[in-house]
Amino acid sequence: MDILVGWWDDYFWGSVVVAQVFVCSLILMIIFGLIGAAAKLSDNFIAQKLANGYTIVFRGTPEILVILLLYFGSAIALTSIAQIFNPDIKFFDVPPFWAGTIAIALIVGSYATETFRGAFLGVNPGSIEAARALGMSNLQTFIYVRVPEMWRLALPAFGNHMLSLVKDTALISIIGLNETLFVAKQAIGTTGEPFIMYIVVGLIYLGFSTIITLSVMGLERFGQRHLVSSR
Amino acid sequence: MSFDFTLIIDAVPKILLGIGLTFQLLVVSAVLGLVLAIGIMLMRISGKWYLSWPAQIYIYIFRGTPILVQIFIVYYGFPQLEFIRESFIWPLFRDPFGCAIVALTLNTGAYVSEILRGGVMGVDRGILEAGTALGLSVRQRFIHLTSPIAIRLALPAYGNDVISLLKSTALASTITLADMTGIARTIVAQTFAPYEIFISLAIIYMILTWILQKSLGRVERYLGRYMQK
Amino acid sequence: MTSNAVIQMRNVGKSFGTFQALKGINLEVAKGERIVVCGPSGSGKSTMIRCINRLEKHDEGKIIIDGKELTDQVDDINAVRREVGMVFQSFNLFPHMTILKNLMLAQRLVRKTSKAEARDTAMQLLERVKIPEQADKYPIQLSGGQQQRVAIARTLCMKPKIILFDEPTSALDPEMINEVLEVMTDLASYGMTMICVTHEMGFARSVADRVIFMDAGEIVEEAEPEAFFSNPKNDRTKKFLSQILSH
Repeated sequence: MDILVGWWDDYFWGSVVVAQVFVCSLILMIIFGLIGAAAKLSDNFIAQKLANGYTIVFRGTPEILVILLLYFGSAIALTSIAQIFNPDIKFFDVPPFWAGTIAIALIVGSYATETFRGAFLGVNPGSIEAARALGMSNLQTFIYVRVPEMWRLALPAFGNHMLSLVKDTALISIIGLNETLFVAKQAIGTTGEPFIMYIVVGLIYLGFSTIITLSVMGLERFGQRHLVSSR
Repeated sequence: MSFDFTLIIDAVPKILLGIGLTFQLLVVSAVLGLVLAIGIMLMRISGKWYLSWPAQIYIYIFRGTPILVQIFIVYYGFPQLEFIRESFIWPLFRDPFGCAIVALTLNTGAYVSEILRGGVMGVDRGILEAGTALGLSVRQRFIHLTSPIAIRLALPAYGNDVISLLKSTALASTITLADMTGIARTIVAQTFAPYEIFISLAIIYMILTWILQKSLGRVERYLGRYMQK
Repeated sequence: MTSNAVIQMRNVGKSFGTFQALKGINLEVAKGERIVVCGPSGSGKSTMIRCINRLEKHDEGKIIIDGKELTDQVDDINAVRREVGMVFQSFNLFPHMTILKNLMLAQRLVRKTSKAEARDTAMQLLERVKIPEQADKYPIQLSGGQQQRVAIARTLCMKPKIILFDEPTSALDPEMINEVLEVMTDLASYGMTMICVTHEMGFARSVADRVIFMDAGEIVEEAEPEAFFSNPKNDRTKKFLSQILSH
């Protein structure tokens, strides 16, 4: 255990990176998912086709590949684009943090598209009809009737998406992101103790997973407090 | 920026050489994982705490940690432990293929056991009550009533997990295995053409996923034929 | 205590947590008797008959079926279930099997009859409930009334001594209720011992030997149909009858 003494710091900062990636990718994932769901639910043929394409591409490609593609590929693409504006630029680098974050947000976002779409369609049509009959506007119906039911329907699957985001963060270490798995590799280089170092990484991620799972459970209970019946 | 097609035509056959390994990883892990999952699921629903708790802990650990970390622990970490090095299963862990199989099996086993449990829980209680009222034993109800219905219920989610498993096999490339991704990464390192190579690789995986999905759809429709009016 | 009684319930009680579903139930059913149980929702009618084939376990008192007491012993329970059939409100046909297989499964697994014999019995009973042509269809392809008739045939395949009916027509569209009641009346005329929880008062009047009214977990009143409907003694019975018969 003394081997770890010098490394607690690094693991800590690595965990901070994991948290940062989580927050950024979560926001992006929600955005991508909502846009995708809206596109699939819309009447616009092109939007639907694009959204379907988005889903097919990102659900059919291994996560590691998407990360590699975005990281290496975007560097090249962006460099070329940058060179149009300024021929002197030799290399335009995309930091692994952003390449990775956007990559996993795109991937999990494609699953979230289905989740949000399902939640939207799952809202009780009777409730909507009742709202209309009572004279509520579209916007009011959306805010007071649709959204409350939607987030409750989406919650379990959404919780799984959040877990996926956290766990996919480990993959970004492959392109050099300084999160915990990356730290472990360095630590092993010096200490030669792969087992312990990787177990620590596992425990850190297990910790993140647990926090997310408990939060989702709490939210679920909060969302159902109106359903608790007494005999 | 130019898109070099000759590179692709050259690379794709080489990448496809890795498809055998990809399939081996997929099929072996899927089969072993399914067997493991059935066992874990039975332990989980057994009602006996000394079976149920270990199952739940196993599921918690393997669903709560990244598969890449699990692969590294098995491949890099286990050889470090003396009792593994000296046991009879050492040949399994010395080989990257064996390590990949172990990690993938343990990982998919955890997910599939929960999927199967969902199927079992989803069987209409009334049907089981009818079986009970007719005098069927617990075992008979499980074999003739619960299992057939649970399998049909679990199939869509199970199909998704098989596709996930296919994508996870790509991680075997991180422990030196020459599956499709491994070969592709080698080619990229040599040719400095990540775009062309990786996009081709992605397309190959998408085709494989599409084939898997279509096959699973067929199986779903066949098993669900009693549901069609 | 008559020796002719196939079912005896003595001081039976059952609780779900703090809620007492059955209190002090005393009931005797003779062979060949047709009993109708009625009462408001939550009165414990379903719970009571479910205790008879041990789909629910009673907490107090004794239940004796055909001379054998119901206990936790597995042999006892299985012996009882072989002789006591049950028809459910939601039919509960096995969706993944054809009608024929539905009828044959328990025969082969529980009574260990041969495939050929099971098949014959099944077809005979399908004829008796008047839908032999549905044998190779799946439950989902049949109407509610047909499904319930299959359910009755399925119980009859086991050649039970007693059949329990738990609101058999409550889940049916009105136009299908009669076809099921016809089958049940037919069964009654053959001398089958029946306990039927139902709201169908017409059926009670024409078929029942005794009508039992339950409320809040207790048997409040029991009488022959004529007496029960025209001259209820208890206030609660009167109230229930006025509510149910007013439309």
